[in-house]
Amino acid sequence: MGRLDEVLELIKEGVRTSKEIAERLNLTVEEVDGIIKILESLGYVEKVEMTSSCQSCPLKKICPGSCVVFKGNLHELKKSDKKGT
Amino acid sequence: MVSCCSVEKLPEEKKDGLKVIALAGNPNVGKTTIFNALTGLRQHVGNWPGVTVEKKEGIMKYREKEFLVVDLPGTYSLTANSVDELIARNFILSGSADVVVDIVDASCLMRNLFLTMEIFEMGVKKVVIALNKIDIARKRGIRFDVKKMEKILGVLVIPTNAKEGEGLEELKKAIANMAEGNVTTNPVIPVYEEPIEREIEHISSLLRGTPLEEMYSIRWLAIKLLTRDQEVIKLVLNYLGSGKMDEILKHISELEVHYKRSLDIVIATQKYEFIDKLMHQFVIHFGEVKETFSDQIDRILTHPAYGILGLLGVFYVLFKFVFTIGSPMQEFLDNTFASLGEFVARFIGNEAVRGLIVEGVIGGVGSVLSFFPLVFLLFIAMSILEDSGYMARAAVVMERIMRKFGLPGKSFIPMVLAFGCNVPAIMATRTLEDERDRILTMLINPLVPCSARMVVITFLAGAFFSDHKALMAVSIYAISLFLALLSALILGKFVIKGEESPFVIELPEYSLPSWKVVVVHSWERSKEFLRKAGTVILLGSVAIWYLSTYPEPIGSGLSYAEKLGKVFEPFTMFMGLDWKAAVSLIFGIIAKENVIATYGIVYGIGESEEALISLMQSAMSDLQAFVLALVTTLYIPCIATIGAIRAEGGNKWALVASAYNLLLASVVGVLAYNIGLLLGL
Repeated sequence: MGRLDEVLELIKEGVRTSKEIAERLNLTVEEVDGIIKILESLGYVEKVEMTSSCQSCPLKKICPGSCVVFKGNLHELKKSDKKGT
Repeated sequence: MVSCCSVEKLPEEKKDGLKVIALAGNPNVGKTTIFNALTGLRQHVGNWPGVTVEKKEGIMKYREKEFLVVDLPGTYSLTANSVDELIARNFILSGSADVVVDIVDASCLMRNLFLTMEIFEMGVKKVVIALNKIDIARKRGIRFDVKKMEKILGVLVIPTNAKEGEGLEELKKAIANMAEGNVTTNPVIPVYEEPIEREIEHISSLLRGTPLEEMYSIRWLAIKLLTRDQEVIKLVLNYLGSGKMDEILKHISELEVHYKRSLDIVIATQKYEFIDKLMHQFVIHFGEVKETFSDQIDRILTHPAYGILGLLGVFYVLFKFVFTIGSPMQEFLDNTFASLGEFVARFIGNEAVRGLIVEGVIGGVGSVLSFFPLVFLLFIAMSILEDSGYMARAAVVMERIMRKFGLPGKSFIPMVLAFGCNVPAIMATRTLEDERDRILTMLINPLVPCSARMVVITFLAGAFFSDHKALMAVSIYAISLFLALLSALILGKFVIKGEESPFVIELPEYSLPSWKVVVVHSWERSKEFLRKAGTVILLGSVAIWYLSTYPEPIGSGLSYAEKLGKVFEPFTMFMGLDWKAAVSLIFGIIAKENVIATYGIVYGIGESEEALISLMQSAMSDLQAFVLALVTTLYIPCIATIGAIRAEGGNKWALVASAYNLLLASVVGVLAYNIGLLLGL
């Protein structure tokens, strides 16, 4: 099993941060983040746009940005094509 | 829409006889910086045909010769999963580029070389690698043997630090030489395990001799077929026919059975491991993996137990900061509004108009507006937490707790958003695929105190808990969040949990917040508060003033507000709340800040906030104030939030959410008040 597989497996198992994955696999966080990007381009995970609800909010015109946001990316296992399952 | 393998060459008139240089690379590797450095101001920006993806072209001059430079979209690979990837892939496949400059980030080379290998597999020979961000790699202790790297990869490698202009002249020279055909390359091709290689050879043998051999790398087509690239399957089907294609697909299925998964992940994994082996030959030193400052802090702040304490501690400090700095400013504003009321009153003879302006508008809106410094400071504090990277940690801690209470992990997104405003938070439940998860998250989301309810909590904390304002505010937040989780646990028994979609969060490094970003962001958010004060709260204040003044002034027992409040008083009295609190809560449904505006009018008509607080303190105990803050936080959501739930879940769930929140607030209010009495509070 290669590193791409291992990262994918840990995501499926419910390990929630790339830092935890890096610790488990003895990799750097940068490498895990890079692997996640490759998995994203292969269609296994997809990026969740956390501020998309702000963009489509009905109060957008009167609200300059009450949404609490945070830095960092979130990728979820893609379900549509069953790749990740 | 761009279709895969539509080999459209760059028109000759566009090339104008110039050699074409394509810039490829991952996003954020410094591609734009290199493009700008190569072309200067000689640029043209348009769109790629048929799509709204930006296409940048420019002219590079080197020793009196001109070259057309095309900036391809940044991609991590050249699969067919996004428009950007298709554009980059088709352009390279078309052969329009005389040279492909592959810009890689030297500080995280593994993932960058993944794209490089895909370019090599496409059969592109004229490739120059710009080993960019070499300065960052050096700082991290990563060292390369560039000559060996060139030998192993089979192409030219130019170390660059595009930001500082380092290596750019060498890069230009290498590009020019390669475009002129003065450099010979032999790009390395990834080698896969024997079963894969055997099938690549089998497919290649079927493709040889077809017109496809003239247009594409046969090996690349074979690999793409193995990964079930639909566009390539369609393309090859035209030339091989269904019989041979069925044979290929049968072999692919057998291989998938052999590897127990799709071949795209198998091939990607083997390619990745191949790159790793290559890197060990030319990377002299990989740099030390040290525990960073972020790692050390995260050991505490994302710890399952300490993380929760950390979260509460951070919010306590946040409120302490807001109250310590904001309270004097609030008092100043409050006195200003009181003086303004007195000043304006002198110039208005008509009693009704004076009442409307001084008591309704200045009294109502002023009592809310005096909280502007606290709101602004709260947003400053929140922006600092966001910009420093802490909020991502808070999300991890919250997510872990939420999972334990039966909430889908991803529901932490709407829960975090709700600290600002519940409306976009309700809309964010769309990120949850499962309908039941969405409903559950939607039902408990209004229990997370938004910034409007924060104003009410702050007001009551300031008025009644002068020595423990921050502790009171944090305890209301903690109780609300606990009740949200408890509700999830209870409601989850009735709402069956669906299948969860696993996800992973990339935590950013902690960083010092940019003050410019923090102030601008906080001001933008605070403007909403001011706008609301000038619209919803102003109208609400006028309405409350009218209901409090007619047909007879408040205190007579005949005003509409008193009558309305008295209807609900028999119910709210179980929580220790009188008719004034009842009428405040009713107007709070329009906008939560109206709870204070109502108090400003029904308690302190014509009075300063100091007098209002004094009046409230004489009419209400600390326990009652605490219960009012708790009930305000928990009861029926504001109209905008109910509207959002209705839009996302329908009338039924909007009704259920309102009824549930009202029931919960009532039960908690009655329990809190009576337990408090029993404890002698």
